[in-house]
Amino acid sequence: MSSERHLSVHAASDKRRSLPELAAEVRDGDTVGLGGGLSSREPMALLRELIRQGRRDLRVVGSAHGIDVDMLCGAGAVSVSAQSYVGFEQDFGMAPNYRRTCQSGEVRIDDGCCYTLVQQLRATILGVPFLPVRSVRGTDFETLHSFRMMTCPYTGEELALVPALRPDVSVLHAQYGDERGNLRIEGPPVVDILLAKSSRTVLATVEQLVSTEELHERGGATIPYFYVSAVSEVAFGAHPTACYPFYAYDRPHTAMYYRSAKAGSEVFRAEYLQPFVYDCPHHDQYLERVGGEALRQRLASWKDGPEAWQRLYANDGEVA
Amino acid sequence: MTGYCTLGEAMVYALSRTVEDRTLVFHGFGSPLVQLALHLAKHTHAPDMVLVAGATYGVNPTPPFLAPTSNDWVMDRGAEASLRIEELFDLAASGRMGRMFLSGLQIDPWGNANVTLLGDGASAAAQGALPKLKLPGGGGGCNLSCDAERITLWTAGHRSVSGRKGKQFRLVPECDFITNLGHRAVDGTPRRELGHRGQGPDWLITELGVFDFDPYGHLRLRAVYPDTTVDEIREHTDFSPVVADELETVGLPDAEMISFLRALDPLGVHLQELRPEDRERRFDLTG
Repeated sequence: MSSERHLSVHAASDKRRSLPELAAEVRDGDTVGLGGGLSSREPMALLRELIRQGRRDLRVVGSAHGIDVDMLCGAGAVSVSAQSYVGFEQDFGMAPNYRRTCQSGEVRIDDGCCYTLVQQLRATILGVPFLPVRSVRGTDFETLHSFRMMTCPYTGEELALVPALRPDVSVLHAQYGDERGNLRIEGPPVVDILLAKSSRTVLATVEQLVSTEELHERGGATIPYFYVSAVSEVAFGAHPTACYPFYAYDRPHTAMYYRSAKAGSEVFRAEYLQPFVYDCPHHDQYLERVGGEALRQRLASWKDGPEAWQRLYANDGEVA
Repeated sequence: MTGYCTLGEAMVYALSRTVEDRTLVFHGFGSPLVQLALHLAKHTHAPDMVLVAGATYGVNPTPPFLAPTSNDWVMDRGAEASLRIEELFDLAASGRMGRMFLSGLQIDPWGNANVTLLGDGASAAAQGALPKLKLPGGGGGCNLSCDAERITLWTAGHRSVSGRKGKQFRLVPECDFITNLGHRAVDGTPRRELGHRGQGPDWLITELGVFDFDPYGHLRLRAVYPDTTVDEIREHTDFSPVVADELETVGLPDAEMISFLRALDPLGVHLQELRPEDRERRFDLTG
């Protein structure tokens, strides 16, 4: 059997890399699993580095996403979207770059559904070529994906068969990790654990690299190190999405992002990508540009109680 | 004291009334009206419902306030447990999910909903045809529309909008793409012949009225708001809706419920789901 049919064990004892080294592991045309979801724990610093390195033709897969996929689309890095949702919920609405590139044909629409994705990743994890699902039949996803059907040999029930999906690479951002690549995710893991277990390569940024002992004291690894290919400490690496307990969702920055994206692809390049991505080759420069220490303190103020938490979300980013 | 309720509060109340006690109920993301409705139901008639929050998959959370986005730690504070994504969807696939709430940018008479794309449909899209409008996508709605025992549909955008291309309807004769299954499949097969676990949608709550489904699986208008009429609903529906023999007026929450809702949503997050003209609608609480 070819090695392509086996998933690897990443046994190295020191997997620390720089952010550019991490991003260099992603190749043009890769199927990329995206960690986090909606306004939370998306690997934004790593995605900005991918954009700076000029990565193209990515096929992005994930569950419910927002600014991460939209930014990649706006930078011309995506050719296929197999997400189940890309938007800003009711907060800002539709994702402008995603919508524009899907409608122009630059991005091919290959929408998934959450459970279908889960079962496709699980098939890979179980080492089987497909898994049956009870749902999907009768909807247009049957046609969009040409799913094969099967009559159950035991019960006679009709089931849809979803093929195993093995992302070339998954990019994740976790709160804690150690140098071996053990990752600890706090709060909802979304699809990150399934992505880590089903992908050929797993690249992780973490808020804090800690010793294996400290990771253990914090509750242990959510994703054991042997699934992980490389790790990089990038504090504020999920900004402007949230990475609790360190920082809440940066709603004003997201509002500013949304306005520039909505104004068109040229405006988005000039007013967002240029200042916040291309002009900040180092993550530290980005952090200074978005507000530095004052911002860090403001986004950590959710810990001061519900009133302080509410203030982070009040009066900013009003959209008509 | 409170002498009125808003349209948003009336919609939340109507949504909450579709929840049965002692069942497992899930709200998705991007749905503050539904999030409020589940907390209201748990606060009133359904204290023993198992409330699972969308995006965080927290079980019976007690958020201090409604956050502007769903995957925020605000939304799972106080949760008794947190499910993983596979566990949540497994619950539905194996028949444990009693109710889910789904919406659409198009909803047809059988309760099918489209949140994927406007344009020439799935076959064309599969061959690379460009959509007129790419919608955000349905999350896990496709799966849950088949698996959850019951579905409540809702939209705060029933009223048609006049644009350059004429009137744009939310309630349409046929969806361009069926993201979420109602009572009739893409090829016209009745839902019951597909053998799905779930029984399909039984309610549709809009800003103009409340619908259920008749025995043929067709939308049926059951109630209007104090300020809407059947004629108005016909005008804004791109097919002829069945109208119940005895049309009712939508029930309104009481003062205590309204206080509960206002305390839970101090930022007015649910108003983002409503169109500006609907944010001003108020109903007197008399009798």
